[in-house]
Amino acid sequence: MSVAQIEETALEQNLTSTGLWRDSWRRLRRNPGAIVGFAFVAVFVAVAILAPLIAPYSPTEQNLALVAKGCCPGPSREHLMGVDELGRDELSRIVYGARYSLVIGVFSVAVGLSIGMLLGAIAGYLGGAADSAIMRAMDIMLAIPGLLLAIGIVAMLGPGFVPVMVAVGVANVPIFARLLRGTILGQRDADYVLAARSVGVRKSVILAGHILPNSISPVIVAATLAMATAIIDVAGLGFLGLGPQDPATPEWGTMLTTADRYISTAPFLAFFPGLAIVIAVLGFNLIGDGLREALDPKLRGRV
Amino acid sequence: MLRFAVRRLFLLVPILIGLSLLLFVWVRALPGTPAAALLGERATPAAVERFERQYGLDRPIHVQYWAYVKTIASGDLGTSVASRRPVITEIKERFPATVELALAAMLFAVCVGLPLGFVAAKRYGGVVDHGSLFLSLIGISIPIFFLGIILKYVFAVRLGWLPTVGRQDVLIDAEHPTGFYILDAIVTGNWEAALDAIKHLVLPAIALGSIPLAIIARITRASTLDVQNEDYVRTARAKGLPPRTVDGRHVLRNALLPVVTILGLQVGVLLGGAVLTETVFAIPGMGSWLKEAIFNHDYPVLMGGILFLAVIFVLVNLVVDLTYGLINPRIRVS
Repeated sequence: MSVAQIEETALEQNLTSTGLWRDSWRRLRRNPGAIVGFAFVAVFVAVAILAPLIAPYSPTEQNLALVAKGCCPGPSREHLMGVDELGRDELSRIVYGARYSLVIGVFSVAVGLSIGMLLGAIAGYLGGAADSAIMRAMDIMLAIPGLLLAIGIVAMLGPGFVPVMVAVGVANVPIFARLLRGTILGQRDADYVLAARSVGVRKSVILAGHILPNSISPVIVAATLAMATAIIDVAGLGFLGLGPQDPATPEWGTMLTTADRYISTAPFLAFFPGLAIVIAVLGFNLIGDGLREALDPKLRGRV
Repeated sequence: MLRFAVRRLFLLVPILIGLSLLLFVWVRALPGTPAAALLGERATPAAVERFERQYGLDRPIHVQYWAYVKTIASGDLGTSVASRRPVITEIKERFPATVELALAAMLFAVCVGLPLGFVAAKRYGGVVDHGSLFLSLIGISIPIFFLGIILKYVFAVRLGWLPTVGRQDVLIDAEHPTGFYILDAIVTGNWEAALDAIKHLVLPAIALGSIPLAIIARITRASTLDVQNEDYVRTARAKGLPPRTVDGRHVLRNALLPVVTILGLQVGVLLGGAVLTETVFAIPGMGSWLKEAIFNHDYPVLMGGILFLAVIFVLVNLVVDLTYGLINPRIRVS
């Protein structure tokens, strides 16, 4: 193939390309795994938002007459997923539980993402002493295994809804900080940054307007996968009894703690909330993997 | 290699100082004062003052920090508020159970994950490959406590093949000189106890090992795919080496390098996950101990336990890094 021919084909290929984001979106839509992931997450989010419309009963209303003959009546036509040890409708509790998982998950990722990105951006762009100080601090946080760090933070703040959110978020900070610092270091000396610097663009504008948009795609992938981990960690803290302290709260992890006690007579009480967690987490994991391949086609079928 | 090792050891110092500082600050940020926790809310001001002088809490903060560092360096992690026993004594009792659990989980993850990832890459696009991708996706998506509950229900409650909780059957009479039950049973020649301890470990190890298994399988698959197209693999094939030799000596050995680097990080997953696994299976290890400590507001236990596990985690990663330097000479120079 002559040089002219190569240039010609390159030009042709260039014509079909419509930019990084649109190309990625096209690749993502063709990925069956990602589609399944979107479907799972769509169901999860829809259930969380429309909970009062979907749930057939109140998630906290007890009907002790139902458990008079022992715990617990399994799935029936009136109660599709059975009732729990206090006669509460399991389906309604799971539907309302989606709200807790979604809200805590989104907020904790937002906490980790915003603080982590800020620290990572400062470290990566400024370098020098700021870089060393921030990254050593991150190393120290990473020295404590993630879930233990979260447990330590909850112990400090006391159990509950907000502490769990903060704990899972803070445990995520070093992950985002490291990631963003790494990608920014890769971009810092790129030609377009040198060009911007040479025409006198301010440092903060170069960082926010030039480097960040070009470093963002691995962060999006990491945030999606972090959402999956956050839902698991939140449920884990709930399972340990560190979540919302009102036992009527239909949080999935907390529900599994009670279910563990009735496992021999009512295994469905553990099965349904667990399945709900798996579906939500699987959805985010599938989207995350799909995004990674879509944004970096070289990885296709490899990771 | 020696210089590499020394440099890695020096990098450890700021981490350890930082950790001690972090936990020192953390304890001071906890709700309530130590005096109130130990003497009760209604202690007289004179008693509080005497208490604070006795424990040096009236001294400047940097003097307190230095005293704290000297104490933990001497192996004194304080006294448990709940049991009134030294924290280090309780760690000695609890830690072997967690080590046993984590080792079993890691063994399970490596023994299943490595071959699975390797075969998946060799049969790229085939049934095993899709199976391994599906399995590793489920592995990272299923909470270990949920998997633990399912395993417990199916294999212990329904089928009755394995025990549900604890480390050892109450009817078994065994000595425990080291606290590692399987090792103890082997040393004392008590085969019944050894089998019993292994049976108690199977389900927790599978539950806890599910995440490392998924990650090891993924990384092995990805790195095998990368390595098997390298020039030196093609050369080895071209010069007529048997496929087995090529796979073993050229592909697998190089594909293992990235896997080794993530093993150390997986130890963190195991130590954190142990809290959940030990809760599900009522194993008296570090994890269930820390969980109880939260509800007892037993801050010396929490601080000592978390510090101890973090140091173990850091040391394991140091060993992994040194091993990596040993098997991959390129890393020593950079």
